[in-house]
Amino acid sequence: MSKFRSHFWFVVPAVLLMIVILIVPIFVAGIFSFTDYNLGSPDFRWIGWKNYEALTKYSSYKKMFSASLTYVVLVVPFSVLLGLGAALLISSLRFGGEIYKTVFFLPVMATLLAMAIAWEFTLDPIVGLVNKLLSEGCNTNWFYQLITGSWLGFNPAENWYGNACADRMPNWLGNKKYALGAISFIGVWQAFGFNMVLYLAGLTSIPRDLYKAAEMDGAKSSWERFKLVTWPMLGPTHVFVITITSIRSFQVFDTVEALTRGGPSKSTYMMVYAMFEKGVKQNLVGIGSSLTIIFLLFVLVLTLTQVYFVNRRVHYS
Amino acid sequence: MNHQSKWFSEIIKHFILILGAVVVILPFYLMLSFSFKSPSEIQSISGGFFGSQELMLDRRCVKEGKPEEECTMLPIVYNYKAAFEEAPLLRYLLNGVIVTVSIFAIQILIALPCAYALAKLNFLGKNIVFGMVIFCLLIPVHAIALPLYLMLAKLGLTNTYAALVIPWTISVFGIFLMRQFFMTVPDDLINAARMDGMSEFSIIWKVMLPTAIPALLAFAIFSVVAHWNDYYWPRIVITGDRDLMTPPLGLRMFKSDMDGNEYGPMMAAATIIVTPLVVAFLLAQRRFIEGITLTGMK
Amino acid sequence: MAEIELKNISKSFSDTQVIKSLDLSISDGEFITIVGPSGCGKSTLLRIIAGLETQSSGDVIIDGREVNNIRASDRDLAMVFQSYALYPHLTVKQNLSVPLKLRELSKIERIPIFNWFLPNRHSKLKEINNKVQKASDTLKITHLLERKPGQLSGGQQQRVAVGRAMVREPVAFLMDEPLSNLDAALRVHMRAEISELHRDLKTTFVYVTHDQAEALTMSDRMAVMMDGEILQLDTPNEIYKNPSNLRVAEFIGSPKINVLPAESDEKGNITCKGITISQTLKIPKKSNLLLGIRPEHMEIIGKNKNKYLNGKIIHKENLGSDVYLHVVLNENEEKIIVRSDSTNAFEVKIGEEVNSEWNDEKILTFDLDGKSLPLNK
Repeated sequence: MSKFRSHFWFVVPAVLLMIVILIVPIFVAGIFSFTDYNLGSPDFRWIGWKNYEALTKYSSYKKMFSASLTYVVLVVPFSVLLGLGAALLISSLRFGGEIYKTVFFLPVMATLLAMAIAWEFTLDPIVGLVNKLLSEGCNTNWFYQLITGSWLGFNPAENWYGNACADRMPNWLGNKKYALGAISFIGVWQAFGFNMVLYLAGLTSIPRDLYKAAEMDGAKSSWERFKLVTWPMLGPTHVFVITITSIRSFQVFDTVEALTRGGPSKSTYMMVYAMFEKGVKQNLVGIGSSLTIIFLLFVLVLTLTQVYFVNRRVHYS
Repeated sequence: MNHQSKWFSEIIKHFILILGAVVVILPFYLMLSFSFKSPSEIQSISGGFFGSQELMLDRRCVKEGKPEEECTMLPIVYNYKAAFEEAPLLRYLLNGVIVTVSIFAIQILIALPCAYALAKLNFLGKNIVFGMVIFCLLIPVHAIALPLYLMLAKLGLTNTYAALVIPWTISVFGIFLMRQFFMTVPDDLINAARMDGMSEFSIIWKVMLPTAIPALLAFAIFSVVAHWNDYYWPRIVITGDRDLMTPPLGLRMFKSDMDGNEYGPMMAAATIIVTPLVVAFLLAQRRFIEGITLTGMK
Repeated sequence: MAEIELKNISKSFSDTQVIKSLDLSISDGEFITIVGPSGCGKSTLLRIIAGLETQSSGDVIIDGREVNNIRASDRDLAMVFQSYALYPHLTVKQNLSVPLKLRELSKIERIPIFNWFLPNRHSKLKEINNKVQKASDTLKITHLLERKPGQLSGGQQQRVAVGRAMVREPVAFLMDEPLSNLDAALRVHMRAEISELHRDLKTTFVYVTHDQAEALTMSDRMAVMMDGEILQLDTPNEIYKNPSNLRVAEFIGSPKINVLPAESDEKGNITCKGITISQTLKIPKKSNLLLGIRPEHMEIIGKNKNKYLNGKIIHKENLGSDVYLHVVLNENEEKIIVRSDSTNAFEVKIGEEVNSEWNDEKILTFDLDGKSLPLNK
C-alpha cells in the first residue's frame, strides 16, 4: 500500500503542473480566440471565427505570414548549409578544429538580446562598422568593381552598391527592403553554430569503413565521397537539423522586439512578435489567442513531419 | 594526393574558417571594445581595441552641477560606472541568478521523481502519464505564454518572482531525458537498495541521482543557459517592477532609457550580461555543447 | 591476375611499430591466408596492400609495378570488409553497381538528368547491369537485388560484399576477416563457398583471419603472423606438421598443442618425464628443451603398458565424435589435453587416474626460445 502511495506522490506534482501550465493554457487560448476579451474588462463576447477571419483579411497579418515564412525560408537553408559546411571543414582539419568549434558556437550561447543590440550598432547606417567599411570600399577600386559588377560590364548606377556609394549607404534595419534580410542575417549568425555541432556529431557516427569501401570502389575526389557516403548517411541528421531550425525560426522574438518592433512597415512583423504585440501590449487577447493557436498548429505540423520522416527512415534501414 | 596539394587545401580551409570566425566574433569584439571607449571614439570607430583611454568629460555629471574634476574619468570607468548606476545592473544579475537557480532546482525536484517512477516503477495510469509527457513535448513554449500570462494576471501574480519561475518548473524535456537515462540503470542496484531498507524516496536522491550526474549536468547547462538568456517571458510578465527584471530585460530597458549617445554604458551592460555564460562555456566547452545539443534531441 | 610482392614493409603508429620489416611474395592466382592473433598487424598489412594505409617504409609491388604512390582506387584491387561496409541507403543492386559506375562512366556521364542525353550511356548502363546480374547469379543473391542491406541477414550481406568486389573483376581480392561476424555453422558453409569461388575465378585471393581453422582449410599457402612479423610461410600441411616456432605450433591446431619440459644429452637422446623418445636431435647437444605433442596424437591406455604419463582427469569435453580429456600430470601439475575416441573415453570419469601415451613420430621439439629443433626421422 505504501508503495503505491509513494509512486503516486512522485508523479502527481509533475502531472498537475503539466495540466495547469501546459495543457490548460492551450485550451484557454483556444477559447479566448473565439472572443473579444481584454484583460481587465469584466466581460467579453463570443465572436466566433471573427478573429481568424481578421487574420486572413488584414494586410498587416498577411505581411506577418509573409514575413515569418520568408524569415524561415531564408534562415533555415543558410544556417543548415553553413552549419554543414563548417562541420565538414572542421572535421577535416588536422589541427585547430576545437578553436573554430568554440568560436562558431559562441553565438548560440550568448544572450541573443545583448548580441542583437551589438549587431544593431554594427549595422547602424551612419556609425556602424559595416557601412563604414562599405564606404571605404567605394574608394577602393577593386572592391567597388567587384560588388557593383562593373568588371563584368554591368552599370554601377543600376546596382545597389553603386547607388549607395553615390548617394548614401543603406539603412539596413530601417529600410523595409533590407530589414528582413538584416534580421535573417542575425538569425543565421545565431543558429548555424548549433547546426554545426549537430552535424559534427552526425559525421562522427558515419562508419569509417564506408569511406574505405568507397575508395576501393573508385570514389576518388572529396565530392564523390560526399555524394556517395557523407550526405546520405547524414540523412537522419538532416531531418533533425531542418526541423529544429525551422521551429526555432518561427519562434524569433528577441531581435524583432529590440531592433525593429515589426517594422519598418511590418516588413519584420513576425508571428511571435505579433502574438506579443496584440495579446499583451495592445491587450487584444482574442486576436492574440488566435495567433497563438495558428502558431501552435504551424509548429505541430513541423514536428509531426519530422516524426514521419524519422519513422520512415527507421523502417528502411 | 601529394604533400603539396594537401598543404594547400589545408590553408584554404583555414582561410575560409577564419573569414567565418571574423564575422562570428565581430559583434562580440565590438561590444567589448565599445564598452571601453568614449562616445567620440565609438562614433568614429577609432582607437584600436582598448580605445585610447583619454580622460573624458561626463557631460551629464557636469549638468548636475558637480565639479569638473569629479566628472573627468577614463572612458572605461565611465561606461561601467554608468552601466551599474543608471540601471540596477547588479540587481538584474542577482535576479538572473535567483531565477535560473530556482528554476533548475524546482525542475529537478519535480522531474526526477516523475522520471524515476516512469522508468522503474509500475503504477496505474503509467502509460497515460508517459503519454502526457510525450504530448507536452510537442507544445512550444511560446504558445502557452499568452494564456499563462492571463492566468497569472488574474491571480495578481504578474511582477513577481513566482511569475518568472513557475511556468518553467515543469520541464517535460527534463522528465523525458532523465527517464531515458534512468532506464539504463540496472534494476539490481535499486533492488539492493530496497533490500537494505531504503525508501523509494531515498532511492531517488541517494541512488539514482549520483549515477545521473552527467545527464543532469548537461540538463543543468541547457536549463541555465536557456533561462538566463530568456527575454520573451520576462518581457511579458514583468510589466513595471524594475527590481525584478532579469538581465536581458534589464538591458532592454536600459536601451530604451538611454539616448543615442550612451552606447558605451550600454555595451558595458551587455558585456556584463553576456560574460558569465561565455566564460563558463570557455571553461567547460564539451559539457556546454552536450547540454545545448540536448535541446535538439527532443 | 596478379603477383603481389611486399618488400621490407614496416609500419609504425606514433611510437609503436606494428609491422616489422616484412617480406612476402604472393603468386598469381593463389589463395594465401595471413593468419594471426588479434593485434598482430595482419589487417594493417592488408590495408597497406590495398593502399588504404601507407607503409612507413618498404615497397608494395603488383605485377612488377611499384604501387607505393598509387592510391587505393587505382590499384585495381577489391576488398571485402569485416563489417561488409555496404551502403545502407542503396539497394543491393545499386551497391553492386557503384564500383562499375564510378569506373566506367566518366564524371559527365554521371550527372543526373543531363546524362540521359549522352549516347553511350545507355549501352554502358546495360553492360553494367549485365555484370551485376552475372555476379548476383554466381552468388545466388539475385532475389535480393531490390532489398536494402538492413533487410538482409549476415550471410546475405556477406555475399553482397563479395559480389561488390567481384563485379569489377579485379586483379586480386583482399578479404579482411569476412566471416568473423557470422555464426559458426554459416561460417563453415561460407568457407566452402569462398574456396569454390576462388577455384572458379582463378584470381589471387589474399585472406586475413584470426581463425586458424579457416586458414588451414582454405589456403594454398598461409603466413602465420605475430607481433608484426611473419613467423612461417608455407602450405597448411607443412605448418601443421613442421611448425618452425613454438608460437606457430601453439597457434595452429585446436585444441592447443601440449608442451612439456624435456632434456637432451650430448648424443641427442631426448627424455621427457622419464620417457625416452625414439627420435634424436639432428644437432646433438646437452640442453633443456620443450617437447610438443598435439592432443590428437595422444591416447589414453590401460595401466599395463610402459612409457606412459600418469595423471588425473580434471575435465572432459564430449564433442560427440571425439572426447577431449584434460589431464593433470601427477608430478608437476602440468595440464595436458588428450583426444580419445568415444569408446575408450566413455568409461573414464572425472577424478580418475589415467595413463596417456603419445605417438613418437609426431613429436615436435623446440629450444627454450621457441625455435624448432629438427629431429632425425
